[in-house]
Amino acid sequence: MTVLTSSAKALPPSTHPFAEVVERLEAGGSMLPDTPENLMQIIGIYKAYAVPMDFYWRDLLYIAEQVFLNPLPAFKYFPSQEYLDRPNSYQGDQAELRIWRGEAGAHPELLEFMEKGEIGKLPKLLHHLWHDRINMEFAEACMDAMLWHQGMGGRFNDYLDSEVYRQNADKAIKAYFKGNPLMLGLYKLFPEMLLEQVKKLSYVANLGLFWEVMAPVFFEMSDIYDEGGFSGVPAAMDFLVNGIFAVAGRPIYHQVFIRGECFEIIPKSEGFTWLYEAALPYVEAVFYRTAPFRGTKSYNAQAGQVPSEQSEFHYGILYADVFPVGSAGIPPTLLMQDMLHFLPPYLTELYLQHKRGEDDILVQLGITFQRSMYNVTSAVIQALRAALLFPLDDPDPEHLKANRAFFESQMDRFIRPEARLRDVQTEHYR
Amino acid sequence: MGLTALITLLSVAESSPEEPRGRLLYGLLLAADFGLTGAFLARNALLFVLAFEITLIPTTLLLAIWGGERRATAAIRYLMYGAVSGVALLAGVLALGLLNTNGFSFAYDDLAQVSLPPGSQRWIMGLLLLAFGLKMPVLPLHGWQPLAYSQASTPVAMQLSGVVSKLGAYGLLRFAVGMMGDTWAAWAPAIAVLGMVSALYGALNAIAQTDMRRLVAYSSLGHMGLLMLAISAASPLSLQGAMAQILAHGLITSLLFCLVGMIETRTGTTEIAGLSGLLNPCRGLPFTSGLFLLALMASAGVPGQAGFVAEMVIYQGSFTLYPIPTLGCLLASGLTAVYAVRLFNRVGFGRLDNALADYSRTSWQERVPALSLSMLVIVAGLWPNLLLGWSEGATASLALTHPSPSVLVAALPSAAVPQAAALLELS
Amino acid sequence: MANIIETAKGAGLFSTLLTAVEVAGLTGALESPGPFTVFAPVDDAFAALPPGTVQTLVQNPPQLARILKFHVISGAYSRSDLVDQPSWESLEGAMIPIRCAEPFEVKNTSVLSADIVCDNGIVHVINRVMLPG
Repeated sequence: MTVLTSSAKALPPSTHPFAEVVERLEAGGSMLPDTPENLMQIIGIYKAYAVPMDFYWRDLLYIAEQVFLNPLPAFKYFPSQEYLDRPNSYQGDQAELRIWRGEAGAHPELLEFMEKGEIGKLPKLLHHLWHDRINMEFAEACMDAMLWHQGMGGRFNDYLDSEVYRQNADKAIKAYFKGNPLMLGLYKLFPEMLLEQVKKLSYVANLGLFWEVMAPVFFEMSDIYDEGGFSGVPAAMDFLVNGIFAVAGRPIYHQVFIRGECFEIIPKSEGFTWLYEAALPYVEAVFYRTAPFRGTKSYNAQAGQVPSEQSEFHYGILYADVFPVGSAGIPPTLLMQDMLHFLPPYLTELYLQHKRGEDDILVQLGITFQRSMYNVTSAVIQALRAALLFPLDDPDPEHLKANRAFFESQMDRFIRPEARLRDVQTEHYR
Repeated sequence: MGLTALITLLSVAESSPEEPRGRLLYGLLLAADFGLTGAFLARNALLFVLAFEITLIPTTLLLAIWGGERRATAAIRYLMYGAVSGVALLAGVLALGLLNTNGFSFAYDDLAQVSLPPGSQRWIMGLLLLAFGLKMPVLPLHGWQPLAYSQASTPVAMQLSGVVSKLGAYGLLRFAVGMMGDTWAAWAPAIAVLGMVSALYGALNAIAQTDMRRLVAYSSLGHMGLLMLAISAASPLSLQGAMAQILAHGLITSLLFCLVGMIETRTGTTEIAGLSGLLNPCRGLPFTSGLFLLALMASAGVPGQAGFVAEMVIYQGSFTLYPIPTLGCLLASGLTAVYAVRLFNRVGFGRLDNALADYSRTSWQERVPALSLSMLVIVAGLWPNLLLGWSEGATASLALTHPSPSVLVAALPSAAVPQAAALLELS
Repeated sequence: MANIIETAKGAGLFSTLLTAVEVAGLTGALESPGPFTVFAPVDDAFAALPPGTVQTLVQNPPQLARILKFHVISGAYSRSDLVDQPSWESLEGAMIPIRCAEPFEVKNTSVLSADIVCDNGIVHVINRVMLPG
């Protein structure tokens, strides 16, 4: 999927408000303009995002598989060494499909941060209480978004209501609380309550497996960029598209380890795939929808300031006003704080030169993150186009028209004023 | 006096170094300072009048040359009102001196014992009221004030509102209360009501404003109404309160104008609708907005700051004499809280618009004037003796020359008579 | 006549498809009486997918089975039958849109040769791998 010009000219120019972007997409590019600075920004922030993501997926799987239904999970953000050492299926020597050239365990920068944090070498508990740690609350907020928004495609959500799932969950719940008459009694009285918790944990596992893939992808992109291997933003996007396809068939499952025994709540044999059950719902829920911005904005629901349809929600990262508000979710304050710790030096230098330098570095990197997520969304759009529609250099004008209709319908979602697509086209949006 | 010097110093500090015709600006500010100092220091009425007139010229020029778009209109209006004020003052003072049956003199000491033919008292008081009422200003003589204060550039506004308006109050204290006490006592009930109306008018108008400068201008008008109430009551306590209010209001209003000026320099606008979320620590003006909050609280009379001290003493001092106007002014004080909160809610809190937030932080150098004024306001609030106490002797003696109890009693509701008598005995 | 599997083996264009079917455990199903309509992607179609796609799917039989089942319709339909309806339900559950006019297209693929009749169904050869959604 290289940049081409000849067949794109077969169609008359687009009349969409974002005609320029549509035509760039048709030529194989990204929603983000192809400039060297854009490329530097997005790769740098991908790397800064991937390190906390490494922690997120490990801890998420720890929560879904080990912590499970613990009623007082005070230590759920302390994944065991087993999970920190757990080999990522896509990096390290043992990987069958090796995406990143690095080692399989937790990233060394992550381990260093977990030990030292910002305030120095202290016991883990003190770090945790001082909140000098990776902010897992962001990951849980993403999971909540996926849980709450339903009808986003894929079979995952419907499966959670099925009888098979209920049986699996029932077995696991009973095994987990064996010998605990209080919780078992509670389960008898309110079966739906614990079942709902198990559904939540299934989404936790879903998200963990999703991010297990994205982290090595981002690490590899950073390494390739450091070697000078990307010719521009479209090349970076292509890498993402190839990555999406390569992992599309990864199974999504949920297994729980209770006293050493493995219970399959969602077995692999159900056939849930990474692309349909994890990636696409995640993009829809976290990039587009999430929940109304918290912090300094108030909404009058009776005046219709919050849409009554969930599908109309427009509070994701692609629409966010990235000022830190201190809470989890979007705007990604907690994630921005995490990314701050792992910025590559060339990005830090860039931020010190613009706006207020160190004082508003969080806002600057948040905006860079927004740009990078536009690139990821472009990759998803291009991947969907490749999967469900026609190649960009297809000679048939009917096919090209279908492609264009698809791109335009995707761009329709960014017409509303809150969308940042217009802003990321310019370089003075910082 | 000290206030004059301080405000002049700070207004000079506040003005931007790239101000066009900077040297002229400083020269004119200092000339105005000269006039004001002369007025406050004078012991002779004619000298006072001279200084009063002198102040008019540099301030008009200051207003006309630097400031907003409509500054020419503002300056002309200011000049006309000021000219009328000057002429009235001249006539009044001349009359005082010439018609003085005790002998021809303009020295304050002599004029303090002035006795005038009864018929002339009324029109002399009228002239003096006109002169000083135009200067303070109070309703209905305030026509020049909102426009002038809102169009003036920051240092000029600071000086105008902080010091020049106090000239009117000082004049009232010195001439009307000091020299024509009986007439004042006779007119005082009406003047108290005038003060109340002025206070309420200022506060209500401030609530309706969409521009920060105009809002502060109307707020200043409201506070002048309070001052008028205090002076009209002329009991020892209320006069102390008047002194405190003179100082406190001078500090607070200057501070407000200073901060509004800083906000305008950074954001480019004083429209309330155009600003939001300035307290944002990342990209807003947190320091300036923090001081702005303090200044608004001081203006509203929140305890712990200078405004409370002044208002408290004024109300205590005036309530027994004029309960209704005092209550009206209390209401106006409550309304100041309304516009202060509304203003800050819109401007300081809320979400900062990233598209417009392209300004840099204020430097420590820029913050010095506002910071020093704020410090004074807070210290004065926590240590009221900074505001009161200095002039106790003078105000007590002023109150003493208050008219005979008979006139006073006639002006009182019956229940308050014993209290008033007790007050007089105390002083 | 041969059944679907044998026909495919004989054509020599479907080695990747046959391996996939084997891994997914669907060989027995496709040898059964059926009848089925199968849209069979040629080897080039699989090769055109980005690297690693097929590998990941082959390592995960249930997921692979899902993709393959999307290429099968229960019942034997020739081209003329298919163009009667704008979309048909696949074995996987998702719908397969059919282009009713010229040329004969199934979802986003072109049919290279249609109506290959076998014992237990009809095969149409397509030039791309179809993905549900």
